[in-house]
Order: sequence, then structure tokens, then C-alpha cells
Amino acid sequence: MQPTSSMNEEFLKKWQMGLQIVRPSIDNTSVSERKKAIKLSADIAMASLRKGTTCWSRALIQKTATEDNFLVRQMLSGIKEEALINKRLPKKVVCHRKIVRRSKKILRRKTKSACEEAAAKAKKLVKRRTQGLRNVVPGGDLMSNDVLLLQETLDYIMSLQTQVNVMRSIVDAAEAGTEQ
Amino acid sequence: MSNRRSSRQSSSTAPRISDDQMIDLVTKLRQILPEIGQRRRSDKVSASKVLQETCNYIRNLNREVDNLSERLSQLLESVDEDSPEAAVIRSLFM
Repeated sequence: MQPTSSMNEEFLKKWQMGLQIVRPSIDNTSVSERKKAIKLSADIAMASLRKGTTCWSRALIQKTATEDNFLVRQMLSGIKEEALINKRLPKKVVCHRKIVRRSKKILRRKTKSACEEAAAKAKKLVKRRTQGLRNVVPGGDLMSNDVLLLQETLDYIMSLQTQVNVMRSIVDAAEAGTEQ
Repeated sequence: MSNRRSSRQSSSTAPRISDDQMIDLVTKLRQILPEIGQRRRSDKVSASKVLQETCNYIRNLNREVDNLSERLSQLLESVDEDSPEAAVIRSLFM
């Protein structure tokens, strides 16, 4: 399961569209403003590849819309994802950790073997790492279903690889002559 | 969607990742993260390592995107108008 060349092409096309949109507004701005515009258009391009079918891409579009609503609207106009900009997000999942921890403490006192305790510790570590994953995947804290989280993670990684590969090729090519 | 109920008393709201699902994820991640391909165990300890590696990988990718955006932004300033590199950049923005 690797990013395909058609994904690369699609990403490049959409990213180009975004860059053309921001072009007039970044001609006389600072390096950091330009960088932000470049990155935001890359993110929207990446998210729009999924055509609204994944949770992470919808979350990323909404998050980007809070930073540059105009750009998002322009890049997605005419596509159904435009509706996503205003769609209400479901409530974030709140895991009542204190309650879970307390009840687990009680349970643990009754545990007999060290083996069981080790397994419990491992499970707890997995839980913590899973929460860490939720923090890095867009919209992760809205996914209470761990299976969904893993599927979304895989798709998100593949999309990120596409984004990085294309951007890297462009930047490397553009920098090739300037280091002389 | 199959929600496997945990047999232990647990008040967590989310279904846990089952072993099968974790094995499946490890297999897929192995293709993406070559470093962890050597691990053969699929018990819980490896599961947490897989998740940790995944998080790190995602963070690295995001950092790289950030870095590439910065470099491109710098290039726009410094590129010589007549160079072939300028043509690459121009074609990007038109």
C-alpha cells in the first residue's frame, strides 16, 4: 500500500491550483506569511484528494478553514466538500480518565499474579499510545472507535507521504541550480 | 461494525484494539516503516511500540512539510528570474 503516481499527480494539480489562488496575496508579504500560504494550500490539496470520505480529511479542511477561510472556499468551490466547511463537528470524545483509573485501582488490588499485572500495564500503555495517536491525526479526538482510528491513521500517513514526496521533488528541483 | 466487548469489567467508552486488528496494523505499517519490520512478536508490548513509532513518523512527516514550505517560500525571494529554477517555480504558481 504505497502512494501511487496518480495520487502524486492529483495532489500536484490541486496544490498548484491553491498556489495560483494565493499568488496575488503573497507577492509582497513576509517569508513566513508565504510559507503559511504554501503549507495551507498543500494541506487542503492533500485533504481534498479524499473527497470527504475520511474523518481526518474533513477535520483538516475544517481546521484549515479557521486559518484561511477564503483559500479553503476557493480551492473547494464547486466540490461537495465546500459543505464541510460549515458542517458542525460531532462532540469530542471525553474519556473520564479519573473514573476509569479509580475503578481500575480497585480492580488491581484484587489481582493475584504478577503476570496479570504485567498484562494490565501493557494494556494501559497501549491505551496511552493510542491517545497519543489521536493527538497527531486530524480529527483523532473525535474517533472513539479505535479501529476507525487505525484505519484513518493508515490513510492519513499515505496521504502525508504523497504530500511530502511531491513537495520534496518540486523544492529539490527548484533549489538545484541555486546552490552554485 | 464489530465491537468486541472486553470480558473484564471496564468503564472505558471506547472498544479496545484487539490483537487481530493490531497484527493487521503492524503488517501494514511494516510496509511503511521499514525499521519495525524486524519485529516478529505481536504482543501488547510491541503494539505500544508500533503506535509510538507511528506517532513519531507522523510528526516527522508534518515537520518535513513545514520545512519544505519554508524552503519554497525562501526560494520565491531569492531565485534568479532567468534561471531554469525560476521556470520550475513559475510553472508551479501559474
